[in-house]
Amino acid sequence: MPSDAVISAVDLHRRFGEGDAAVDALVGVSLDFERGRFTAIMGPSGSGKSTLMHILAGLDRPTAGDVLVDGVSLESLDDTRLTQLRRDTFGFIFQFFNLLPVLTAEENVVLPLSIAGRKPDRQWVDELIERVGLSDRRTHRPSELSGGQQQRVAVARALVTRPAVLFADEPTGNLDSTASGEVLALLRGAVDDYGQTVVMVTHDEEAASIGDRTVVLTDGRIVEDSLAPVAA
Amino acid sequence: MLALTLRGLGARKLRTALTATSIVLGVALVSGTFILTDTINRSFDRIFAQGASGFDVSVTPRQAVKSQNVQTPPISQSLVPRVQAVAGVRRAIGEVFREAVIYGRDGKRLSTHAPNFVASANPAPFSAFHYVQGRPPRAPGEVGLDRHTVQDQGWRLGDRIAVSGNAPLQRFRLMGAAKYGNVDSLAGASVAVLTLPEAQRVAGQPGQVDGIDVLTQPGVPPRTVVGRLRAALPAGVTVRTAQAQAQQQARDVKSNFRFITTALLAFAGIALFVGGFMIFNTFSITVAQRMREFALLRTLGASRRQVLRAVVVEALLVGLGSSLIGLLAGLGLAPGLNGLFKAFGASLPFAARTVIVSLLVGTGITVVSSLLPALRATRVPPIAALREGAILPPGRGRRWRTPLALGCVAIGVAIIAYGLFGSVGSGGSVAGLLGAGAVVVFLGVGMVSSQLVRPLASVVGRPLERLTGLTGRLARENAIRNPGRTAVTAAALMIGLALVTFVTIFAAGTRGSVNEAIDQTFHSNLVIRNTNNFGTFSGAVDQAVSQVPGVRFATPVLYAPSKVTGAGRANATGLDPRTGSQVFHVKWKRGSPRTLATLGPHDAVAKKGWASKHDFHVGGTIRVLTPSSRHLTLRIRGLYTDRLSFGGDYIVPAATVAADYGIKDEQYSLVRFQPGADAAAVRSAVDRLISARFPEVEARTLKQFKHDQAKQINQLLGLIYVLLSLSVIVSLFGIVNTLALSIHERTRELGMLRAIGTSRRQVRRIVRYESVITALIGAALGMVLGVCFALIISRPLESQGFALEFPVGTLLLLLVLAALAGVVAAIGPARRAARLNVLDALAYE
Repeated sequence: MPSDAVISAVDLHRRFGEGDAAVDALVGVSLDFERGRFTAIMGPSGSGKSTLMHILAGLDRPTAGDVLVDGVSLESLDDTRLTQLRRDTFGFIFQFFNLLPVLTAEENVVLPLSIAGRKPDRQWVDELIERVGLSDRRTHRPSELSGGQQQRVAVARALVTRPAVLFADEPTGNLDSTASGEVLALLRGAVDDYGQTVVMVTHDEEAASIGDRTVVLTDGRIVEDSLAPVAA
Repeated sequence: MLALTLRGLGARKLRTALTATSIVLGVALVSGTFILTDTINRSFDRIFAQGASGFDVSVTPRQAVKSQNVQTPPISQSLVPRVQAVAGVRRAIGEVFREAVIYGRDGKRLSTHAPNFVASANPAPFSAFHYVQGRPPRAPGEVGLDRHTVQDQGWRLGDRIAVSGNAPLQRFRLMGAAKYGNVDSLAGASVAVLTLPEAQRVAGQPGQVDGIDVLTQPGVPPRTVVGRLRAALPAGVTVRTAQAQAQQQARDVKSNFRFITTALLAFAGIALFVGGFMIFNTFSITVAQRMREFALLRTLGASRRQVLRAVVVEALLVGLGSSLIGLLAGLGLAPGLNGLFKAFGASLPFAARTVIVSLLVGTGITVVSSLLPALRATRVPPIAALREGAILPPGRGRRWRTPLALGCVAIGVAIIAYGLFGSVGSGGSVAGLLGAGAVVVFLGVGMVSSQLVRPLASVVGRPLERLTGLTGRLARENAIRNPGRTAVTAAALMIGLALVTFVTIFAAGTRGSVNEAIDQTFHSNLVIRNTNNFGTFSGAVDQAVSQVPGVRFATPVLYAPSKVTGAGRANATGLDPRTGSQVFHVKWKRGSPRTLATLGPHDAVAKKGWASKHDFHVGGTIRVLTPSSRHLTLRIRGLYTDRLSFGGDYIVPAATVAADYGIKDEQYSLVRFQPGADAAAVRSAVDRLISARFPEVEARTLKQFKHDQAKQINQLLGLIYVLLSLSVIVSLFGIVNTLALSIHERTRELGMLRAIGTSRRQVRRIVRYESVITALIGAALGMVLGVCFALIISRPLESQGFALEFPVGTLLLLLVLAALAGVVAAIGPARRAARLNVLDALAYE
């Protein structure tokens, strides 16, 4: 199992603030994420699940411990290398969609490629847009799309670079149940059809149940790590 | 990424337009100034080239002392046969071309802005005048005029045209209208062409000419003839090829206009500087508002450099676009500027320099001003995309900001002080240093002003709060919520108001000082001066006025430039010792009025400050080079001080100025009545004489004379106000922009206020008061700075009799106007804020 880990957390600690006001968000978390797996990280508010994801994605730095991405320590990377990592290796889906309002749906999808200065693979982009069901919404602005549609644009955007790991931060937190189901199905499909690795943070058990593995955090510690989905 | 920038600009049209305005206005003034300058220069190049097209070599009086205000004294006509005798000369003629006054149909001088001339009718190949109507003058009493003037006045051949010069007004019969070569207009000037002896008589120079035009023999190169003539003629003349002479004349005239270019560009610079503040502010605000966007881009893998580039490219596009618009607007502005200075004909299109400088300056200012905000954008951490309500990390330099700001102020003041008290030399470099110092001070105060916003907002906001209750309180809180933003917005207005305050105080001081100086210096019943208030006039006026019953005497005041060995350029004043000493008073340090009354032809009295600076002493001598190339040795008989230099650097007898300096026309004629004469009756007799024979002058009582001077200062002040208003307008756009952006930011809050029952009118008020508070902070800062500048810059002038005055009423009025400007700036944003739909505002994410 460790041999096929795309990304590994090694004894992560994260402390916010100092002295009396200090809060320990993570207390010694170690985890391996295997290629082609859909991992759900669960836990109540303040359990440290979001902090864990931020650190895994190189958006935040641990107080102690390290993250290895394909065997490379994130600790050793400067801002430029981290930026490249985010650009080429990771994909992101956010709770609040975070689309650029001035760009069309399709332009939002290819945005990571534009940033990298790469030519989009036409076929791949078309396939993605088709897959997320927005073929007839390509030229719409985010303000003209429903919440579910916006999040589907975000899924396509996250997949367009064929990232090694796709991070999803409460992707269904702002959606109704129908839209949630659609987005989760898309993530599941990405794992099954493209062998995509997905790490999703959620506090919704139903959402978590779609994953291959569920990690439950409480007070900054792993309290459960089960390969089978949590009983629905 | 470029597409993203473009799309972003498109999506923020209003902000982009408002930001662009600040650059458009400044660049328009830059491009308009260049277009005007090119137009002026081209006119003169063509006019002088035409004037020299009919001959090969030109002999002119040497300009021993360069001066804009005084025409070079003429040379003797007896040189013409000597020129004619030189080998290679085919033909030589003497010509007259000198300033005079031509009167229009209404009996008034044609123009007070462009000069009038009297010229001699030169024979065929020499003259540039080609008569399109009638013929040249051939007898005394006949005149030809340039066609432009004839058409302008609607004159016909046979009309009688009044001309005066050194000789009293006289009428001539119009015989012909001429084109000057191929140019239509002589840059607004009018020329009356008379026969040579008549021209000499009117110009007051019988037997003298202003130039000798030479045709060379075929096959002899003009250069050869130039060499021979130089060898054959006395030192008091300059010999050049006609072409070189035309270029030199054009250069001389053009250099007289250079100050207009410099002044206009300075005002454009001020407007652009203010625009820079506004751009800095706009970009700072939008970077803060677009934080999530930048964070998202960073999360998706955009590097800091890409974020930096996105912001800077946006600035580049805004700058380039608005510079282009400004460049075109300059084309429309140039005729307006032209009108401001009453100068020339059709505008020229763009020269390459106009385009390059306009685009470079406008784009450069925009990009430079956006750099700091762009750098802040790069510091947005990617994680900000994931967190609600993240705030922009504070700038790294925050700790250094106050020391840096104070350092800027200190350095700025030091630069100003060096300009004022260090021996820098020319007035141009002093002005440059003052300007540079002021810019640095403004930057420093702009930086530190965020610290001042809170207390200042209290001072101006508390009374408002007492009057208006909650709305005033919210407005004040809003103004200090983001002190840096309010500070920069106010600082932009501060610059304009500091300069307005400065010139207002300075003008008031100048008016007061001039009044006092006139009181101290002039002790006549009347002062006669040119109606244009700066020109000179013939000494014949004195003689004629002296004959008026009830007048005891009329005595001249002449001004002449000179060069004094060891002291450089010095201004000589010519007075009649016997009469002048009675009505022109100075304060004696060595000597007495008797010294002046008994001044011999080669005696002088010197201004004390000037004399001690150059180590001249009573009893010693000074060596003077006069405009007519003569060398004089003058003995210093006394020392005086006088305010504002009505007495120049030294005083010599008027007869000496006429004989040795070659300057006969006077600046003032001071008229003393007989004791016991009926002042009103004498005055009207003098007026009658003047209007019949010398309409180019008028007699003024001392009170009227003072009033005239004040009026002239006020006119200049008005012109400066107009040009400074451009910067103030730019800063008002800054307030509009900041308000609009702040309201956008507070949409949800405004929605909440409306939801709990705040009326539209109250929302409007909150915005309006915030605007007024911002404007008043800017005005207060600006006025304090303006007063400081006035205090500092007037220091070295105090020794010259300059005393500051503080026109409190005008300054209070400025404060009120600033508050009103705040109200006006708030109109649009307030309306927008009030129109917000409550539900939408609350749902706004």
